[in-house]
Amino acid sequence: MTAFELAGKRALVVGAEGQAGRAIGLALAEAGADVALVAATADPAAAFALRRLGGQVEALGRRSLTQATDVTSSQGAQVMVRQVAKELGGLDVLVNAAGLYLGKPFEKVSDAEWARVLGLNLNATFFTCRAAVREMLRGEGGRIVNVVSLLALRGLSHSAAYCAAQAAVVNLSRALALEYAGRGIRVNCIVHGWLEGMPGAGEAAAENPLVRFIPMRRLGRAAELGPLAVYLASDAADYLTGQTYAVDGGVLQHL
Amino acid sequence: MVLERFRLDGKAVIVTGGGRGLGRRMAVALAEAGADVAVAARTVPELEETAAAVRAAGRRCLVVPTDVRDSRQVDALVERTVAEFGRLDVFVANAGALGAAGSKAPVDVTDEEWADSLATNLGNAFYSARAALRVMLPQGSGVIITVASGTALRGFAQGFVYGAAKAGIIALTKSLAVMYARQGIRANCIVPGFVAQMDEPGPMEQEFLLSRGRYIPVGRVGRAAELGPLAVFLASDASSYVTGETFVIDGGGLADGVAPVGYAPAWEPGRQA
Repeated sequence: MTAFELAGKRALVVGAEGQAGRAIGLALAEAGADVALVAATADPAAAFALRRLGGQVEALGRRSLTQATDVTSSQGAQVMVRQVAKELGGLDVLVNAAGLYLGKPFEKVSDAEWARVLGLNLNATFFTCRAAVREMLRGEGGRIVNVVSLLALRGLSHSAAYCAAQAAVVNLSRALALEYAGRGIRVNCIVHGWLEGMPGAGEAAAENPLVRFIPMRRLGRAAELGPLAVYLASDAADYLTGQTYAVDGGVLQHL
Repeated sequence: MVLERFRLDGKAVIVTGGGRGLGRRMAVALAEAGADVAVAARTVPELEETAAAVRAAGRRCLVVPTDVRDSRQVDALVERTVAEFGRLDVFVANAGALGAAGSKAPVDVTDEEWADSLATNLGNAFYSARAALRVMLPQGSGVIITVASGTALRGFAQGFVYGAAKAGIIALTKSLAVMYARQGIRANCIVPGFVAQMDEPGPMEQEFLLSRGRYIPVGRVGRAAELGPLAVFLASDASSYVTGETFVIDGGGLADGVAPVGYAPAWEPGRQA
């Protein structure tokens, strides 16, 4: 499927230690891209886990870089993106797949918790997008794919900080899409539904009460996000920008 | 491997409105991904041109002259396709047009014109889905792809019946998705923004397209061929967990806070657009 091939593209996946980031990083490499896999927190254990994924990417014959960076720090994100672009020879694709969920009654959310949730979900996206745009403007544009949860579009009890931060990513993406449309940068969001293994999603089994509310009657698999990310990262998606596309088994569409 | 998930080898596909523009390019892209394709529209010579392109991609193509406003013809289209290919995996309900209501003002639209514009757009989508489901449900799998328009999502002064019908298509698609998700059937809707229908626009069309393109965030109108990869994504296993979704492909227009395609909503009651 040549339309979707990413040969020669240089991609950066932030949040590659999470299951969505892992699946997307691997899919981009399978489609032919060189991929930098970055854990969104400077946690040595995350960096270690990424090495295995890096090995898988290299087994596909692609280049990979793995590292852990605190992307909630403006400088951390900027330095990391610059370094990735330098090592890969440029940057064509940025995927932000990092996220931090907080489940807590709203009135009990502390200032520090609010800051932490906004920090990883929103600020980190801002920092990495800004750094990536700077790189992409040196070249012929690029693709940004921000991965958010369905809670970016809907509310949920005990999830106010997360809902607010995720929604902000969607509209940040729209605004960036408009601002850089004329300079070859495309910005879209993938909205994922309830995925197997996600905190709060519970068991994959059909007895899972959550599954009753999903028209497909099953949780999604992280690997099912890969093809859409590949499409949005490819040249075939040049007329797609400023949009959110859901991979959710229909959960956002029923009454 | 991820690229394999976009393949459609051995699949049988129907594309209505397949004689030109978006429909032709989707039909050809689906064929290039491996599918055999039945193309339907009213104008046979145009269908034959699409068929030649499908066959050039190495796939079988069935030409079925069809007026999609007539449900018996849509049923016959599905029957002929199944007789020829032995199955039906994907129905792309792409046919549509302004219809008899055209761009008339509400006070000037007759009952007949209202009915015709609805039949041309919403009616045909329903007939298509119904006929497809009769094959897909016993088969236990299938994909329905409908095609709406930006006029479904925003007010549109130059064809309000068309917009209403297209909005109906989006709602129809969501309901189909919810009703049949458990039976292995997915339904999604493509919302094309401003996309050039013709492959090779003449000089006057070219000038119009360039002038329109200036008002679209990416700086150009879409190309019909750009609908192909989206159709392949939605038709294939690449979108296995995607259903009920509306896929806007519009160069950023609908994300714009002020001037989605540069038209101010200047329309005065009583005046034709």
